[in-house]
Amino acid sequence: MSWSRRSLLAAGGSLAAASATGIAEARVLPKDMVPLIGPGYRAVDPDEKGMWQQMERVEEEVSGSNLLIKDPQLTSYLGDLIGHVGGPAAKDMRIYLARIPEFNAIMFPTGFAVVFSGLLLRMRNEAQLAGVVAHESAHFLRKHQLRQWRDMRRKTDIFSFVAIGAGLAGGVAGVYAGDLVQLGQLGTILSLLKYNRTIEAEADAMGVRLLAEAGYDPMAMSETWEQLIGELDLSAKYRRKRRDRSFTLFETHPSPDSRMADLKISAAEVRQPGKTYDAFRDRYLNALGSIRPTLLDDQVKLNDPGASQYVVETLAKDGWNGLLRFYEGEVWRLRNSSKLGDETRAAQGYAAAVAYPDAPPDAWRWHGIMLLKSGKRLEAHAAFARYLQLAPNAPDAALVRQMMNG
Amino acid sequence: MVRVRIFPLLAAMSVSLSACAGVGGEGFGYGGYSLIRPKEVRVGDNSMAVTPLREWNKISARIFTDIRDVEDWTQNGPYLDGISFVTGLKDGKALVYQRSQDDRQVPKFRSNMTAPEIAAILESLFRVRGGAIEYKVTALAPRPFLGVSGFQYDYEHLDSDEVRRKGRAVGAVVDGKLYLILFDAARSHYYNALLPDFEAIVQSARRV
Repeated sequence: MSWSRRSLLAAGGSLAAASATGIAEARVLPKDMVPLIGPGYRAVDPDEKGMWQQMERVEEEVSGSNLLIKDPQLTSYLGDLIGHVGGPAAKDMRIYLARIPEFNAIMFPTGFAVVFSGLLLRMRNEAQLAGVVAHESAHFLRKHQLRQWRDMRRKTDIFSFVAIGAGLAGGVAGVYAGDLVQLGQLGTILSLLKYNRTIEAEADAMGVRLLAEAGYDPMAMSETWEQLIGELDLSAKYRRKRRDRSFTLFETHPSPDSRMADLKISAAEVRQPGKTYDAFRDRYLNALGSIRPTLLDDQVKLNDPGASQYVVETLAKDGWNGLLRFYEGEVWRLRNSSKLGDETRAAQGYAAAVAYPDAPPDAWRWHGIMLLKSGKRLEAHAAFARYLQLAPNAPDAALVRQMMNG
Repeated sequence: MVRVRIFPLLAAMSVSLSACAGVGGEGFGYGGYSLIRPKEVRVGDNSMAVTPLREWNKISARIFTDIRDVEDWTQNGPYLDGISFVTGLKDGKALVYQRSQDDRQVPKFRSNMTAPEIAAILESLFRVRGGAIEYKVTALAPRPFLGVSGFQYDYEHLDSDEVRRKGRAVGAVVDGKLYLILFDAARSHYYNALLPDFEAIVQSARRV
């Protein structure tokens, strides 16, 4: 039972993700990217119908997962967004938001997308998110998964392909891994399966076009991409290695530079001269509502210091606040290298955080712990008192009281 | 390969990575369970002894690791429940074997850590190595352990296999080293069913 479900999803992920790899040799022009499907599209050919049937089962599994974030305000916001940049099939597409700290989003051949919470964390504004959604929508509108699937069937036997997909997923992500998590991390695996390089270039070109048509700055897409590359580079650097993780969202190997250049040229092509674009940052933050701290928490506690620092600093480009300073401290506390003086850096982060009015209660507790460890008992006492005042029902209140008085 | 049965999910992962257990999933490739009798037994690096109320299955240690100091028991298999003993983990060591190049790492233990910092290590352990998606601290309170001032840490998590689990750790730092007993089990049924056994084990713990 569990096997069939896992292999089903792995196969679904393979189909969805394999179409997202590859780089075009020549730039695909946005003006050539017309949608291949209209509203209410359904599978036509027998083989396509078979694939849809399989994908419908995948969607059933995904939609029933308890890893989904079901906040009605946020999900309807995402639904509206895809309705805005999804072109002619906008009304047919569905978005599921999974609480998984991965910088990723996946479009399935039947028009449903899985957006991972790690993506929402990293977007500075609505325009950036719309860029990713437009890119994913383009895969559906251009029937990429179907084309990919047929292409692969010509080259391999589909059953062995499915087995390869499931086997790799099992081996690399670990059989234990939940299905959705596996999907989120699948890019790493599927970068092994490079087929059609033009497909990704098409999704880029069509994505900027959809973005511009919906009134967003088409440059937002290359910004997101730069953030992904920057994050992967810093993550690898801190672990003293080269970047080795790739993602289905923006496959960057072998030449991220040329793809980025193409993306910028295409964006310039569809940009309206003289027009000022709103990035809709406020609307985005409003939609995220109270989950932003949770998303930061999910990322930072993975103790991937390069990636987390990059994320915190990227968000801080729009202004530092108590929340971001707190998580900056958390990054160093968890890395905990004595050689690099991380404890001092963490202490500085917490001290900076509590100077802001929006500092989370946890910042006061950690500020107190750091003061205590450096022998400043009186100041620590005051910080703990502030923590307990802000969070009187904190689950660790008894222990904090002991530290205060001990 | 990796001696990572610090809690249930890790076991499954280490097997699939090392033995390529394949997509079947069911039936781990562990050759190694051995029986623990209900009488006093030394655990981990043998610096701690506990007396269980009933028989347990000890999951055999796997080779080459810097955490000889961890030992794992289970009643119904690692997906459903497990008890881990941490015995004298030294400054600068992590609870699991990991490579310095791993992107995501379980933070290292330091001798001068306070209880919230040790609790944070456990949270990252579950997130980094156990696939915890949602993680919630339910209590962190003082509790004597091994005759010194220690702590009790209660938490719940939802893992990537969509199972909700719940756990309790009781620990203390003694002579700069970490001693801890951790119980983690499926929230429905297994946690409550085995909690009294865990408590008896904690009560019986002594350094030898």
